[in-house]
Formats: sequence, C-alpha cells, structure tokens
Amino acid sequence: MPDLVDGRCLTSVLLEPVDGTDDVPAAVRSIPRTLAALAVSSRGAGPLRLTDHDIRSALSSDGSVATGLPFSWSARTARRALGLDAVRSLLSGEAKTPAHAVGATLARMARVRSGDRPSSSMEVWVAGLPAGARSAAEAEAVTWATRLWNALDWTAFPSPPLIGRDHWWDSPHSSLLALRSRAEVRSVVPGEQPATVHLVVLGGTRRPTVRSELCVVALVEALRAGRSAPPGRVVGWWPDSGHIARVDVNRAALDEGVAAVAQTLGTGSPRARTGGGTGKAA
Amino acid sequence: MVLVESRVTAVRRSERRVGAAPAAASRPAARNQMLTLLREGSGHRPSVDPGLAGGLRAWLEDAAGELSCARGESASPLFLGPRTLLAAPAPAAWEGRADPFSLELATSSLVRALFRQLVIAGSVGDPLTDGLDALRVDPARAELVSFIETLGTTRRAELADTVGIHLAHVADITPRFSPGWLPRTGDRVAIPLAGGRVVLSGVFDLLVGAPVPGTASVCAIGLTTSGRWARGRMTLHYLSLLETLRNGAPPFRLALVHSGAGRYAVEDVREEHLRALVAHLAAHLTALAQDRA
Repeated sequence: MPDLVDGRCLTSVLLEPVDGTDDVPAAVRSIPRTLAALAVSSRGAGPLRLTDHDIRSALSSDGSVATGLPFSWSARTARRALGLDAVRSLLSGEAKTPAHAVGATLARMARVRSGDRPSSSMEVWVAGLPAGARSAAEAEAVTWATRLWNALDWTAFPSPPLIGRDHWWDSPHSSLLALRSRAEVRSVVPGEQPATVHLVVLGGTRRPTVRSELCVVALVEALRAGRSAPPGRVVGWWPDSGHIARVDVNRAALDEGVAAVAQTLGTGSPRARTGGGTGKAA
Repeated sequence: MVLVESRVTAVRRSERRVGAAPAAASRPAARNQMLTLLREGSGHRPSVDPGLAGGLRAWLEDAAGELSCARGESASPLFLGPRTLLAAPAPAAWEGRADPFSLELATSSLVRALFRQLVIAGSVGDPLTDGLDALRVDPARAELVSFIETLGTTRRAELADTVGIHLAHVADITPRFSPGWLPRTGDRVAIPLAGGRVVLSGVFDLLVGAPVPGTASVCAIGLTTSGRWARGRMTLHYLSLLETLRNGAPPFRLALVHSGAGRYAVEDVREEHLRALVAHLAAHLTALAQDRA
C-alpha cells in the first residue's frame, strides 16, 4: 500500500541515499531490442509514441481513464504547465510567492502574444481569455503550484532540481517507437554511485497499476542515461491525499516497465502488474 | 467560543465569532477584522498529537471496510462528498444522482467562481459575465453554463441580481490576503479508505498558510450560499478532518462566510469536532453497508 507522508518525509523519501543500482546499466542493455521487437509486432495496433497517458489508459482495466477525447485547453489542462513555470520562478528567486509567479507567467504570455516570438497554443489560449476566465485559470495554477511548493523542503536538495522537463527516449532500432517520461521534479542524489531521482505528481484515484506507470518512467530514464547517472528512484505523490508510491529502480522495475509498454502496445503483458502497486521492487 | 458582532469593536463572548457585512465606509476595517480573528493567537499554534490522524483513520477504515465488503470486491471506487455524507442517511440514494440544475446551484457555482477571482485578482467586473467566463474554462461545468445561458430574461436578471448581492457581501467581508499567506482556492482533498474502494472527498474554498508538520498551521475559509449555516459549518469540520488525514494536522482556524446574508464566523478547530465527525461518518458508512447487505 502507498505510504502517507508529510512534506518533510516526502523530501527525505525522494532524496535518501540510493543503493542497488549496480544492475541497472547491465539490465538496460538488451531492452532497446526487446522494445523494437514489440513495436514491430504491434504495428497498427496502437500508438508508438507513448506518453504517460497512453500507459495509464492501457493499464486501466475499468475504463476510468478518458480516451479518444480531443484535447482542448482549460483551467485544468493548463494548470500544470503554468504551475511548473511558477515553481521554476520561485526556485530561481525571480518570484517570491506562487501567486506572483503565476501572475508573471500569464503576463509574459500576453506579451509573447503581442509579437515577441511565435506563440504556443497555450499562449494563444491564455491571451484570448476574458478577465473572469483568466482568473479561473490563474487560480487553478496558483493552487497547483502552491501544493507542490509546500510539499517539499527545497533547501534539502543538493543542487537545484530540474522542474518539469519531459524526457523522450527514441528507439535506436525502430523509428516507430518513442517513450516519454513525465516527472515534475528531478534531482541527483550524490554518493559513491550518484543516481537520479524523480518525483511524479499523480492525479486521479489511487490505482493498483500505479507502480507499473512509475516503472515506465524508470525505464525511460534508464534508457536515456547512457554513461550518466542511472535512475535510482521514482516517487509518485498524490497531492489530494498525501499518499506516495515509491519505486526503487532495479532489474525487476525495468522488467515491469517493459511489460507495461508491451501491454500499451497491445502485444500482451504477462508481467504487467495489476495488483499491489507500491513499495520497493523485489 | 468567541462571538464578535460586526460594526462594533470585537467583543469576546465565546469561542465562536460571528460578524456581519459592514457599511461601505467601514469595509476595509471589516476585512481586517476577519484577518485579525484568523491571526489571533497564531504565535502559539497548537502542536498536534502525532497519533491523532492515525486513530481517526483507523476508525474510518473499520466502517469503510465493512461497506467495501458489502459492495463486493469488484465494485468500482465509491466517491463520497459532504453533500452525501453530511445529510441524514438516505441509503436509497447512496450511489449518487446528479441534482437537476437550479438557480440555487447556479448561484452557488457563480459565487464560488467570483470568490476565487476576488482572492486571486482582488476585484471583479460584471459579476454574471465574469462568473460565466470562469465556468466556461471548466469543461465539467459545460451543462451548467448552458443552463444559465438559456435562462429567460427575467430569471437571468434575477440570477444576476442575486449573484451581485452575494458578491458584494463576500467582497466586504473577505480579507485581501497577501500572496505571502499562500492563498489557494479550490484545493481538493480525497482520502482513500479500504484500499481505495471508498474515497472521501471535498474541496476547500480557500486555504491560507503553509502546512507545518506536527502543527495546526493553515486556516480554511468556506462559503455557504444557501444559508444552511449548520450544514456549512459541518462541511468545514468535514474538510478539516480530511486535511488532518492528508497532512497529519487539522487547520488552525476556520471561517465560514454566509454570502447571502453577509455574515461570517471564525472558530478554532478542536479535536472534539474531528471526533464527532468521524463518529458521524462511520455511522453513515455502516448504514450504507447495512442497506447494501
């Protein structure tokens, strides 16, 4: 079962020393070919640029994840991007509070819209909002950013963490296949063998498949690591309940990530877990 | 409990404090009054029994486990919010049924949206226009927006007037919290029980202050638009319980604003509130389980 933690504990769970990543580089060596084979055998059976949403949708057996709906910007879909930008501003010292930070982000978007550089679709959306709608979007983003800001002891990080950069891994063996790892906070835990750690903000209900979802994040990070520090830990955190789910990265966790990808590609997944869900990988 | 009558100097009468919307000239003073009441004694915020949250959770887990067994292992998660849980047990309706749209629901949703705007932006333009624009960026409100947009001229004017009155009261009473207080609106709490098969959920209208482990440090401000004061107060206590289960500590102090009447009350969160709520919820869950069996 997931653990319940307070903000101080969440930081220590994320940043505590990592051990046991010795087998990760060796375990990851054969995985690109395995994934490429899965992509080939699944051609036409499903998406091959897999996001966390694809993984979650595929693992969800109860249809609780909405699929096939066209994306549109809303206060809810914009809050993460606005909130992450705000947390970056807070960490860099550009803003003193989440409200200031989100306000500055929205103001910057309005300026961009007026011609500084090509606009993103979100910038176009934000710039077109009337006052009431803009306040609603701002309020959602402030709440999102404040929850993340309050959840961690930012002074405990050994170096400034990376906030909210999605990572893609492109298969070297199949141009068809790419996997995305989404995490809100990334850092490196120093030690004899430095390792990266990743905090994923989770939404929706607590679900038995969450461990597999986090294992895919671990898999992508391991595939991307090369000679850099391997992933040591992925922590999922539900702000609504304060619960966490933790995956310590090792061979078993990577195998579980591969199984989740296989299930998402529609090629079957005897090892994708649908029971239990948290705690250390065996 | 401390009772405070508005328009006069705050007078301590009991631990619960009540105010009313002030005359125009004294608006800033009234806002400061609520702020003062929320801050009073904040230098000595109570430490929280570290076992409190675990004990409350265990009590609820027993009842939720019973309900979960009655529903069966394969049942989808049951989400329960204050509307269901704080009403008298009505087992026939326990699986939930959407309320039909009404002017009351429209007023509540619009006033809450405008309250958020007031907290974030500090001001509101035309209440009905801004409120509707705010609801339009929430796809879950699409049907409600459609309901409001298709109201006849008379009912729409009636709604606009009502919302305007509520907003004026809220604007008069609600402090303009400094961003340093970390005000956040619409903060959702969802506490899974019985392995996630029963979920207690709710939404804070406004939270201020940073959580401090082991200390009751945040303040919660709630709105009631319907005038059901006791129900609004119980909802705030319910949310305080969920916050205790989420962060290990309840809020330090609560303010309930009745936007229709322009009254408000401020009170401390006490352990007996939480215990009473847990007893009520456990009984409700047990009643649901027995009905199911």
